[in-house]
Amino acid sequence: MASLGLSALLLSLPWLIKLDGHPHADWQQFLGRFHPLAVHIPIGLLVLVPLLEIAGAFRPVLREAAGFVLGLALASCLLALALGFLLAHGSGDAGAGVMRHLWGGIVLTIVVLLCVLARPWWSTQAELNVYPVFLVCMMIALLWTAHQGGSLTHGSNYLTEYMPASLKGWTGLGSQPSSATASFYVQHIYPVLDANCVGCHGETQAKGGLRMDSYDLLMKGGQDGPVIVAGNAAKSILFQRITLPTDHKQFMPAEGKPPLRGEEIAWIKAWIEQGASPSIAALAGVSIRAESPEPPIEPVGDYSALMPEIQQMDHTQGAKLKQVSAKPSDGLVLFTVDAAGSFGDAQLAQFQKFAPYIVEAELGRTAVTDASFDTLKQFTHLRALHLEETRITGSGLAKLGTLSQLGYLNLSGTQVTAALVAPLSSMKNLRQVYLYNTPAQPASAAGEAQSKERTTP
Amino acid sequence: MKQHPLCTDTEQAANVLDLTVPAELKQEWAALQTRRHFLGRTGKVLGWAAMASLLGNRNLRGDTRAPGYGQTAAQAGEPLGLPHFAPKAKRAIYLFMSGGPSQVDLWDYKPNLAAQYDKDMPDSVRGSQQLTGMTTGQARFPVAPSHWAFKRYGQTGTWVSDLLPYTGRMADDLTIIKSTNTEAINHEPAIMLMNTGNMNAGKPCLGSWLAYGLGSMNDNLPTFMVLQTKLNTKENNQPVSSRLWSSGFLSSEYAGVGLRSVGDPVLYLTDPNGVDREVRRKMLDAVNEINRETYAELGDPETNARIAQYEMAYRMQASVPELADLSKEPKSTWDLYGPDAKQPGTFAYNCLMARRLAERGVRFTQVYKRGWDMHDNVTGMLPLLCQEIDRGCYALITDLKQRGLLDDTLVVWAGEFGRTVYSQGGLTADNYGRDHHPRCYTTWMAGGGVRPGITYGETDDYSYNVVKDPVTVRDFNATILHCLGIDHNKLSYKFQGLDQKLTGPVPASVVPGLLA
Repeated sequence: MASLGLSALLLSLPWLIKLDGHPHADWQQFLGRFHPLAVHIPIGLLVLVPLLEIAGAFRPVLREAAGFVLGLALASCLLALALGFLLAHGSGDAGAGVMRHLWGGIVLTIVVLLCVLARPWWSTQAELNVYPVFLVCMMIALLWTAHQGGSLTHGSNYLTEYMPASLKGWTGLGSQPSSATASFYVQHIYPVLDANCVGCHGETQAKGGLRMDSYDLLMKGGQDGPVIVAGNAAKSILFQRITLPTDHKQFMPAEGKPPLRGEEIAWIKAWIEQGASPSIAALAGVSIRAESPEPPIEPVGDYSALMPEIQQMDHTQGAKLKQVSAKPSDGLVLFTVDAAGSFGDAQLAQFQKFAPYIVEAELGRTAVTDASFDTLKQFTHLRALHLEETRITGSGLAKLGTLSQLGYLNLSGTQVTAALVAPLSSMKNLRQVYLYNTPAQPASAAGEAQSKERTTP
Repeated sequence: MKQHPLCTDTEQAANVLDLTVPAELKQEWAALQTRRHFLGRTGKVLGWAAMASLLGNRNLRGDTRAPGYGQTAAQAGEPLGLPHFAPKAKRAIYLFMSGGPSQVDLWDYKPNLAAQYDKDMPDSVRGSQQLTGMTTGQARFPVAPSHWAFKRYGQTGTWVSDLLPYTGRMADDLTIIKSTNTEAINHEPAIMLMNTGNMNAGKPCLGSWLAYGLGSMNDNLPTFMVLQTKLNTKENNQPVSSRLWSSGFLSSEYAGVGLRSVGDPVLYLTDPNGVDREVRRKMLDAVNEINRETYAELGDPETNARIAQYEMAYRMQASVPELADLSKEPKSTWDLYGPDAKQPGTFAYNCLMARRLAERGVRFTQVYKRGWDMHDNVTGMLPLLCQEIDRGCYALITDLKQRGLLDDTLVVWAGEFGRTVYSQGGLTADNYGRDHHPRCYTTWMAGGGVRPGITYGETDDYSYNVVKDPVTVRDFNATILHCLGIDHNKLSYKFQGLDQKLTGPVPASVVPGLLA
């Protein structure tokens, strides 16, 4: 009877004490913030229960322990639930994510309660064998609830953010909001809001009743009314909040998150003042440099086993391989300036072994020739290649076509001709080709040779 | 171990029992030295030593940077873990305008000041600021609008003074900071603050931090080089000296190596008659052998620095003549840099040299140009100075850009402070003077890591106070380090019990608005 009453109480909790989206007493938040701490106790205990039951088939003593652990788990479930409810109530969180997590917690606690009730029947070999079913339900409820909670603290795309692209496409997670509608809002306003605001004003936590994850919700505003007054930035709460002094209590983004950049604020201001339209394509007075975004840096493989050899190369070849940064996956840079004149194709070939890990090769002023392209084409992660002031003539340049990451190619002061450089224009990522002081140099205004040409269409 | 003549270590110096202290104290001392104490202490020491080696080399050894006494991490072959993240710039060139160029006359365009000519600057603008001794006694502070007109340049429409026509042409490549500000109002502290992050001498400068942190790309040339521009005798030349490129408490091999502006770029680098390279090598080997013995005996890290410097000098005997040989520069170089560049020691020559150093993998080159300290006769002197630097700056940026070097080279142009909008001394229709002004001054950067074509920060109507986006010297230096892949909070060196940093103990932050 008591357990039935407890279940009913739990189920009706969200109606008894309504989560109205307003913050309440500070003590509630103070206690509530222990929820993320307390919540891990039932998780650990609940996972342990089925394990103990299974292991108990072989060592009966473990099965005895399972009952105790289950009881403990129920108690800690109730504690975590109470603290969680205090947190939500105290901080005024009532977003969809919070509600899902809350319901998950309630259902989970009830299933655990059922497990506690069903276990004695099961252990006395009664015919009603629902206990294993309840255990499975409990694990499912646990997984789901824990995932909802994790999404609240880490963001809903935390798990999938770095999922390989191929896997994303396969699971259907890769579909981004279509950018076919190239409005100013979609291209410039939404990304700023998404990066800085939606964490707290979105589907998962709608703080202050405000959601900014779609245009309609943004214009609807929050519990204090609309946050955007089309045509008047100064009267728009959103604009007021982001332009307060950063130490002001009402400054947004709150909780010490970095303020918006000056230009982002300027975009928002211009967008509001020119009508805050979802479809306007461009704004008067705002010009944004159209840049082809740099391709994401592809991490190179693990070369830690080669480290002793890499250090050795420095002594034997006079050329150095250095890490781009403290992060090994950023790759290696090949410096040859020490060896310059004596560094030729044969020396370069010695580095073939490290080819996939080299992202930048500085071969300027060395003795390499066109024969080096056969080695260089194996530098599959190469992003920048310096061949300035070398004896390169350009025949064989096309072999670089396979280097999909190559973005920078310096051929200044070589004998390359325009005809031999032309095929490079098909390389998608190649943004900068330097042809200063070469026969291929484009004729330009007197004295001011602009050799930087964009080869992207 | 033999005692070093300068050694003041008490264990080496004298026995306590020989000192003139009361007999009862001596007795107490002797009583404490029991066998039990000895064993107890030895045990503890061994325990700590074992624990230190178990925990790796960092935590208990205290000095996180020095893997062995007298050895830097770089010498020990132990990487510092730098750069902290993939850098945009691999090297930097710093054009230092010593003396404090006038932002009012060069960059910070204030057209409304013309109407204020010879009117008193409102007290509210100056507030409670303490002025220098040079103008604090002035009866009035008459506003001196710039003598020169400004023009808009480039697609960005940046206002640049008519004194800098060449620089104006590259305005779209520059990141102009109008809100740089410093705490120092006099040359010496201000120039130290800019270069070392501290007004007092003894701290390593920016270049030394970079040399220490990032290491060399070319072992045949110093990692950090300094080029001084020849003096123009007409100018008010505040001195600059090697304290500005000193390595402070870092090993002296990280100090800047200067190239002379007249005669041999490096003195005594050429072997005397009758000494060939082989003889020189043998002599150095012998000297190094003696130095290594000295180091083994005394353990002074400076001995190692000395060995490294001798070796560097030997390699520079081959690399510097090649560096200084401009005969292979194409005609287009001279068309770009102008005729001055053929004369060693001019600013244009130094800019060309800076480009050659960048090509040869030198991490950090600092070019000093003195003479910007114009307390009087601004209209007489400023055009001369600008004429000296204008084309060189333009040529350097343009040259780096056309050769594909600007992508990974950061160029910085800065002085130690700005100048006042009010006239120091008499204000006449065609001349005025300007005093030191720390509250705002204009600097610029270009190249790897910074966003081209922007003007950052704003000043008030009198170019006196920053009203938007201030950039302190600390922030300025933190941003430079950031462009080179360094987190300014992590590049530190334990000295005098502190984790010393270029940006000092006061919080500094990278300025995101300046970054590309």
